[in-house]
Amino acid sequence: MAYNPKTPCNSARQRARSLTRTPLTASGISGVNGYSLHTSPSKNKADLTNPFVSTGKPGSSSRTASPAKRGTSGTAEVTERLRRQASNGLIRKGGVESRIDVVTRDYVPPPKTETRRSKSQPAVNWRPQRDTRDRFITTRETAVDEVAASLDMMNLNTEPSSPGHTARLAAAAGVPLNKRILAYHEPPPPSSSDSLLSQQRELVRPLYARPGALPTSTSSTTSKARKIPTQPERVLDAPGIVDDFYLNVLAWSSQNTLAVALETTTYVWRADTGEVVELGEAPEGSYVSSLDFSADGQFLGVGLGTGEVELWDVETRTKLRTMAGHSLQVACLSWNQHVLSSGCGDGSIWHHDVRVARHKVGELLGHEGEICGLKWREDGELLASGGNDNVVNVWDGRIGDVNVASGSRSTPRWTKRNHTAAVKAVAWCPWQPSLLATGGGTNDAAVHIWNTTTGARLHSLVTPSQITSIHWAPHRKEFVTTHGFPTNALMVHSYPTMERIAEIRDAHDSRVLWSAVGPAGDVLVTGAGDENLKFWRLWEVPKVKKSKEPKDSIKSSTQAGILAIR
Amino acid sequence: MPAVKQAPTRQAITLKGSTNLVTEFFKYAANTILFQRGVYPADDFHMVKKYGQTVLVTQDLALENYLDKILTQVNKWLLTGSITQLVLAIISKDSRLTLERWVFDVNIMDQDQPSGPPKPAPIKPDSEIQAEIRNILKQIVSTVTFLPVIDEPTVFNILAYTSESADVPADEWVDTDPLAIEASKSQQVKLRSFSTDVHRIEAMVAYRYEG
Repeated sequence: MAYNPKTPCNSARQRARSLTRTPLTASGISGVNGYSLHTSPSKNKADLTNPFVSTGKPGSSSRTASPAKRGTSGTAEVTERLRRQASNGLIRKGGVESRIDVVTRDYVPPPKTETRRSKSQPAVNWRPQRDTRDRFITTRETAVDEVAASLDMMNLNTEPSSPGHTARLAAAAGVPLNKRILAYHEPPPPSSSDSLLSQQRELVRPLYARPGALPTSTSSTTSKARKIPTQPERVLDAPGIVDDFYLNVLAWSSQNTLAVALETTTYVWRADTGEVVELGEAPEGSYVSSLDFSADGQFLGVGLGTGEVELWDVETRTKLRTMAGHSLQVACLSWNQHVLSSGCGDGSIWHHDVRVARHKVGELLGHEGEICGLKWREDGELLASGGNDNVVNVWDGRIGDVNVASGSRSTPRWTKRNHTAAVKAVAWCPWQPSLLATGGGTNDAAVHIWNTTTGARLHSLVTPSQITSIHWAPHRKEFVTTHGFPTNALMVHSYPTMERIAEIRDAHDSRVLWSAVGPAGDVLVTGAGDENLKFWRLWEVPKVKKSKEPKDSIKSSTQAGILAIR
Repeated sequence: MPAVKQAPTRQAITLKGSTNLVTEFFKYAANTILFQRGVYPADDFHMVKKYGQTVLVTQDLALENYLDKILTQVNKWLLTGSITQLVLAIISKDSRLTLERWVFDVNIMDQDQPSGPPKPAPIKPDSEIQAEIRNILKQIVSTVTFLPVIDEPTVFNILAYTSESADVPADEWVDTDPLAIEASKSQQVKLRSFSTDVHRIEAMVAYRYEG
């Protein structure tokens, strides 16, 4: 309101700012606004700068603005003006003419802010106050404008520009006139000023902003045909198991033995007998970071936190050899016949031929982050790797063997960057060799199914939470995923419909980190930071293949709910 | 009977005591509004037991200090009786439009009853004052049901309406515009009030509503 006395000495800046308010002056047309304006001197100036005045309708140019607005006093001049406008058709509201009229008034310093906008003022086709930028100096800092605006506002009570003006203003604001309105000199702190809090908020965002994250519960599983027990068949105690997403410390062999590493010590649990054997310890100052059984189940590869890869004979419980060379933790291992591939924290994958003295027979360099998932296809032709750099690579397995001498290679057959988080879950399909399933971590939580022959992405599925592992069902067109916070769930999905068949919510008390499918293909074992291993009977072994020993033996083994491994 | 019993332990509430009570109320009311209207993210706030209920109070140190600084001054003004109104305005961050004005009128009670002996003035039990405060805070929470949903980033500002003669720390408080909402676009809802023996606080919310 302090704008009113716009005098010819208006600086360019003031005029510029007033332009931004101009839309509100359109109400002048209806002649009801209670403003007393001192526009007369500035009119000339406006006319000079107004392109419309010279070209257009002399009668209804910007000159009309001031009388119309002054017209609250209801003088004859106004009525006459209005009559003329009406005869020109200008009084029509919202019409083309009235809009033109508004434009012509653009250059008249507006008398008021939007608080004065009359109710009877029709909302014309445009909306007022849309663009608050300065038309002339678009790069001006808004803060300057704000300061200027508030400076202008400040003296509003001291300057009674019109008798009714201050009173109306006071009434509108609910202020008694002899009062001061004070504000603290600093603005309040911005809402995300705490960097730690905002960072944390950023980190947990994916946990909240996920479609359909939590509404469904365990009971509302989709398939009616399948009944999947929501309770584990057996629970083993695994004290001291390391709660680390990047480790892979659970492996189940074809000989039906389960290897699990509890920090530094590796144990083997024979599912047939329930017998627990301590296999061996990691060297002083190190820890076991990954385990994998060779295809025949005779040998166990053990990756260590210090970068060595050990080879153990399961039967005799002796260490056969140590293969050094990696500089960082070996977080995943995968066997292909006599080649043990290891994924390292520095993003390299090495092939170790366990038969020869110079064990390193190949190196694959294609990841910039730690390798979290590594799986050979059963036929040894392809190797899939997932990294902390959110990349999935598929490597040709043959060249690794051929290229013994040349060593390293950095061109994978396929590189996929669709995931937006670390890819730990990697699985080859046993019944359709070209299929590869990968699952991303917290920020991603999506499963992608790839055709590795063509490199095409066949299916995608967004899940409620971090995917820590994935397995295909050996005898069914299904796959299972394990999840971290907040659901800590096991989910069984059908393929290729990607429908959810079952979800076991809160399978563990903390995130489910590792899982392995038993050799018979019916039981899934999961391990988690809550120091439990749980066995879930998710599938049945087809009748034809009856009498595989694991099934019987599991039944015959001890029925106690919780067994301590050590 | 209870009033008589209370008299020895707590004499008629003093100006200072009442002032502190009102200041404290402003603090919790401001926090409640900032939380309920989403001016600051919800996880900045933690629950505190107050007035026999849980109140959400900010954990953001910067905001805490800011409110403290303001309320310390408000406390001084209350003591001298020079503040008449405290307004918390919620402003759109981008358009700078005032979206809501939470107005707390401060009335001083004892001037209303100059005649008659001061003794028989009923001493309001503490619990009753607390219950009134609780009701206001609850009402602030419940306003979420009718206030328009704010889906843009907002900032707030606190305005103090003082008398002309008020003592104003020169470089800390500045005259400002009332951040009013145009009368034609404003809806007002009167909230409950509470009173101590000295002060009477009336709450009101005005919000922008363009139907």
